[in-house]
Amino acid sequence: MKTLLLGAAAAALLHITPTVVLVKRQDAVSRLLPGAERFASRELHLSSADSRRLHDAVGWEPPDGVVTFYVGKRQDQVTGALLFMRVDCQHGPLELAIGFDPGGTIRGVEVTKATVEMKPWVLEALRAGLTEEYRGLAVGQTPAGAAKVKDHVGAMPGYMAELVDKGVMHAAAAYRLFYRT
Amino acid sequence: MLYDLRGADARVRWLVTLFLATLGTSYVFGAWMVGLYAGFSTSAVAQTYGPSGESSMAMQMPPDTTMVTERDISPAEMGGQQHHVDRDLLVQDTHVHMPMYAVIAAALSVIVLGLNVSRSAGLALIALLFAAPWLDFAGMWLTKLASPRFAIVTLAGGWAMALGYTIVAALAIWQMWRPRSQGEATL
Repeated sequence: MKTLLLGAAAAALLHITPTVVLVKRQDAVSRLLPGAERFASRELHLSSADSRRLHDAVGWEPPDGVVTFYVGKRQDQVTGALLFMRVDCQHGPLELAIGFDPGGTIRGVEVTKATVEMKPWVLEALRAGLTEEYRGLAVGQTPAGAAKVKDHVGAMPGYMAELVDKGVMHAAAAYRLFYRT
Repeated sequence: MLYDLRGADARVRWLVTLFLATLGTSYVFGAWMVGLYAGFSTSAVAQTYGPSGESSMAMQMPPDTTMVTERDISPAEMGGQQHHVDRDLLVQDTHVHMPMYAVIAAALSVIVLGLNVSRSAGLALIALLFAAPWLDFAGMWLTKLASPRFAIVTLAGGWAMALGYTIVAALAIWQMWRPRSQGEATL
């Protein structure tokens, strides 16, 4: 019985907290693809070779082999592209929206979802100006938002910033390697 | 039976009743959550857990060359995308949920041990309580790794979980609280 109770307590403690929406996807779309009148979904089913290429570049590949770009258009002109990217950690998943302008630089980053536990850490990192560090970053550059905010935030917000860096790096690599495919 | 739930101290029966009520409430919200994020049809479950979120004839092996499909969508479609559980998230879900399912199945089984049912019925009920989570997660993994057709196994697991709980709760509540006949001891 004691083991049973300890097991129950451990299971409860280890349970990942529910996901909360920090920014609605539609709001992220309007911020990251401003002025777009029409939208298209460009879905890439990566070959093994391309998955490997992505993995070699940034140590990550989409688990199901699919990368989806959302493309914004105005009068048949592309105004930009956007990717939703999930980053997992032991506290649960984070979802980011990463927008690119037509020139291929990062227009902006929004953290759209986190878990209840991670939310205050993420908000602290955001208040320290984390996402401002990504604006105008070329897709070949290494994101360094965490390094910029680390001295101004606690340990866990700093860790969240590292996760956001990682998600931005994955998205930028996917854009650089495959967007023009 | 290993102990007699009906004849147990009122505090034990009250504990079991509250446990069943709390678990039942969580199952109602669990079903609601399934409706929100996965759905109750085989096609919806296959879309949630299948490769790339596709329902049937999905691309289970990577193509020889990268394939691109493009289609116009509305902003609402971007906002309300079908919830999809990929491999990494399923690893996390399995790790998080299986221990809790085991604890719940064990707790319900302890209740079964105190019910006035035959030995074989007890064994069958305990098997059902533990088979349900196994079916649930086996279905999810098979849907992802083998074929979207295995979504039906996940549905079977979900219904088995509901059935197991309903049988145990109904029998326990009836046996613990039904009016006592003359000659039955009361505590």
